[in-house]
Amino acid sequence: MADVAVVRSPDIKKQSGFAFIAASCVAVLYLPMLVVIAYSFNSANNLAAKWHGFTTSWYNVVLANGEFYDSAILSVIVAVAATLISTVLATAAALGTTRGRPWRGQGSAYLTITTPLVVPEIVTGISLLSFFAFLSTVTGIDLGIWKLILAHSAFCIPFAYLPIRARLEGMDTTLDNAAADLYATPWKTFRYVTLPLLVPGISSGAALAFIVSFDDFTITQLIAGPGETTLPLYIWGRIRRTLTPELNAMCTLLLLISLAFIVLSFVLSHRRRA
Amino acid sequence: MAEIKDMQRLDDARRRLLTLPAVLFILAFAALPLLVVLAYSFMKPATYGGVEWQLSADAYVGFLFQKDIFDDSLTFSSEYLLIFARTFLFGIATTVVCLLIGFPTAYYMATRPPQTRNWWVLLITIPFWSNLLVRTIAVMFIIRDEGLINTVLLSLGVVDQPVTMIFTDFAILLGLFYSFLPFMILPVYASLEKLDFRLVEAGYDLYASRFQVLTRIIIPLTWPGIATGSLLVFIPSFGAYVTPLLLGGGRHLMIGDLIALQFGSSRNWPLGSAFSMILMAFVMLALFFQIRKNAGGVSHG
Amino acid sequence: MLNVKKEFGHFQAVDHVTLNIEPNEFFTLLGPSGCGKTTLLRMMAGFETPTSGEILLDKRSIAGLLPNERPINTVFQNYALFPHMTVAENIGFGLKMLGRSRAEIAPIVEEMLRLVRLEGAGDRPVTKLSGGQQQRVALARALAPRPKVLLLDEPLSALDLKLRQSMQIELKRLQAETGITFVFVTHDQEEALTMSDRIAVMSKGRVLQVGSARDIYEHPADRFVAGFIGETNFLEGAIVEAKGKVARVRLKSGADVAAAMAEGLPTTGDVTIVVRPEHLQIAADKDAALCATVETVVYFGTDSHVHLRLADGSPVIVRQQNRRDGTRPPDVGAEVGLSIPDGVAQVLKD
Repeated sequence: MADVAVVRSPDIKKQSGFAFIAASCVAVLYLPMLVVIAYSFNSANNLAAKWHGFTTSWYNVVLANGEFYDSAILSVIVAVAATLISTVLATAAALGTTRGRPWRGQGSAYLTITTPLVVPEIVTGISLLSFFAFLSTVTGIDLGIWKLILAHSAFCIPFAYLPIRARLEGMDTTLDNAAADLYATPWKTFRYVTLPLLVPGISSGAALAFIVSFDDFTITQLIAGPGETTLPLYIWGRIRRTLTPELNAMCTLLLLISLAFIVLSFVLSHRRRA
Repeated sequence: MAEIKDMQRLDDARRRLLTLPAVLFILAFAALPLLVVLAYSFMKPATYGGVEWQLSADAYVGFLFQKDIFDDSLTFSSEYLLIFARTFLFGIATTVVCLLIGFPTAYYMATRPPQTRNWWVLLITIPFWSNLLVRTIAVMFIIRDEGLINTVLLSLGVVDQPVTMIFTDFAILLGLFYSFLPFMILPVYASLEKLDFRLVEAGYDLYASRFQVLTRIIIPLTWPGIATGSLLVFIPSFGAYVTPLLLGGGRHLMIGDLIALQFGSSRNWPLGSAFSMILMAFVMLALFFQIRKNAGGVSHG
Repeated sequence: MLNVKKEFGHFQAVDHVTLNIEPNEFFTLLGPSGCGKTTLLRMMAGFETPTSGEILLDKRSIAGLLPNERPINTVFQNYALFPHMTVAENIGFGLKMLGRSRAEIAPIVEEMLRLVRLEGAGDRPVTKLSGGQQQRVALARALAPRPKVLLLDEPLSALDLKLRQSMQIELKRLQAETGITFVFVTHDQEEALTMSDRIAVMSKGRVLQVGSARDIYEHPADRFVAGFIGETNFLEGAIVEAKGKVARVRLKSGADVAAAMAEGLPTTGDVTIVVRPEHLQIAADKDAALCATVETVVYFGTDSHVHLRLADGSPVIVRQQNRRDGTRPPDVGAEVGLSIPDGVAQVLKD
């Protein structure tokens, strides 16, 4: 409908000044990030805004930095584990809560799964801190890096769940009927029809889960034990020390990683349902 | 016939079973911890962090009153209440500013041709998911005394002294706005995109001005998106932790920092837990209003 | 071969329907949307469960079988082609699910492609096909496993008129070539008339009449069937005399008409008779028993529809062929006589 209106009368939707606001919005959102990226190439060895010349040497410094490397590895381990756990659970839950007659309690299940989205991070953080502390007093077990993995998996579930669910809801159920009509058992229908069509949704959800885990700072900071320094924690620690463009280089790398996964997720979820 | 009814029940059971692991996982690692915090908020603090297993309402009393060190008498203390009020105001202000800037942006996006629209969505989606810590650091770099804005202003001779922006309330508000603006734009855009623009034409046809069409037709019809966006901005800015820490310099506290403080150097877990529960109560209230607003939006349609 | 009888839920979507569909028959379920024809089809395919009753295939009940256990295939209204597969993979899907080897499947797929005239298109993704081509793939896919019955759920409704007409002929040809029983669902009476061996006209969950196209058109069982299939004139009157299968009916406007009457109808009282517009004749003779005034004349190319009003105020339509011999439809406002030849009128059941 809207498309028709565009052709017929482009003027009717216009509100004066909105274009300007939209343009400023994008400028405001991107300017700080672009500045961080630009200054990662500044050859000055402090963070003053004066431009001293172009260099890529800060990236060499970052890549030679053992602590950065270690924290990056930890971040990847936690994020990959959390992505796997949350995506598997979210996919199963999405299959259980879409298509077909809603079962009793399905609404509550949906609310539970999306709970992490409405609890402020700080509250999640201290609650997990209290919970793991409680657990170790009662049982005497310290879960170590599993604390991070379990916590990340929990708050990644809704991020993985929502795109998968959206994809499933957009999927034509007559395709399943067609498969059943053509002698496919329920399992074969899932294996040959539902799953292949769901792959973009699952990948999109997994990509989001990965970013959310990889980028998390607040919750991780509260529950991480000594030596469990993820990349955002390491960067946080660095702000308190001497500021050099090395920090910008690290931030740029982090932004690029996020960007890669965002674009991946976006492309997968917006690809035309072929 | 009986077989097929059984199959329906089997299908229900199978789908329940598929959903169960995710639900249990979240109950264990998101809901149960909240219950632990609720329990902790009714206990006494242990000297080195953690709690003593003793029932006590001290934490909630401590929110409003100060206990005299000598005679244990209670006097009203507005210190924490003021921080809550400040935080609430920051949350509301951030939401309002994000709406004022975000709505026109979302509207502009929704009125682009379809192909352009996707590019706009991607453009807003990128900061939506980008690392919040890095984005806050970026704002810090720009508004520091030695940052880009001051350097430019000084070299142009507009000012002779750097304008102090960092570690002010303005810095916090700017940081919150910058962090959560995309959270407003995307949901509002989603509901504007679904808007039937023939209704807008009908509005003009019935002699409404552009402004009247906006306030009488478009905004009421996109209430659900506006309410969702407001909630997505309000909840994280109300519970903000990193932004005030980095841009407020620790001098301008918000609840989030206050809570973290109790679990950190202040070592008063019950008090921190009580603050968290009060924070959650506000969030629940906001959620409740959103549901009400959404219901209102539906009746408009 | 198929003996169906069922009732459906609280809302009686299908109300005690009993049908007998013969092997190798092109059978059509015809009715307006919401009449229960699609529900009936879905019950045959196994996607809906009958509340009560039985579905027999070769005298064996299939009610307890899942869709994948029934030797029945469906051509879906929106085709439901698997978008992530090629044309050949779509067509071979059923055979693959039946556990046939790749070597067995390939020649059958080729044969099917030939049958639906899509030779060489096997490797193309189905999403790149036009609507008509997708339609053919859906047909080939459903035919490839050689089902006992092929169900077609309004498969032509998404096609434009030209394509639809050529597909109608195509379907008829496929049915004849394969010898498979076709059960076709449509709301389009023309489609039903041109393709079917037999038609079941449905309304509100009930089957009103089952018969050949000619039966249904020329001898509609009741008012609904008469009105749904083609254009019809309904005339009110009362029976004067009933003798065997013919009744003399006195119309309200005064004229007597001889009308065919089915057995078992009441032989006295008020009745409605039905006359097809092409069977009425306009006579220049104004003294004919039946007089009418011309209200509108609509030109349709091969014929013209003359809208008239009888003396008692009831409307009548007459279809006249446009010939080049100078006969022209009457002028608007003219008083004309109408004649109803013997045997073209029929007394309707209420």
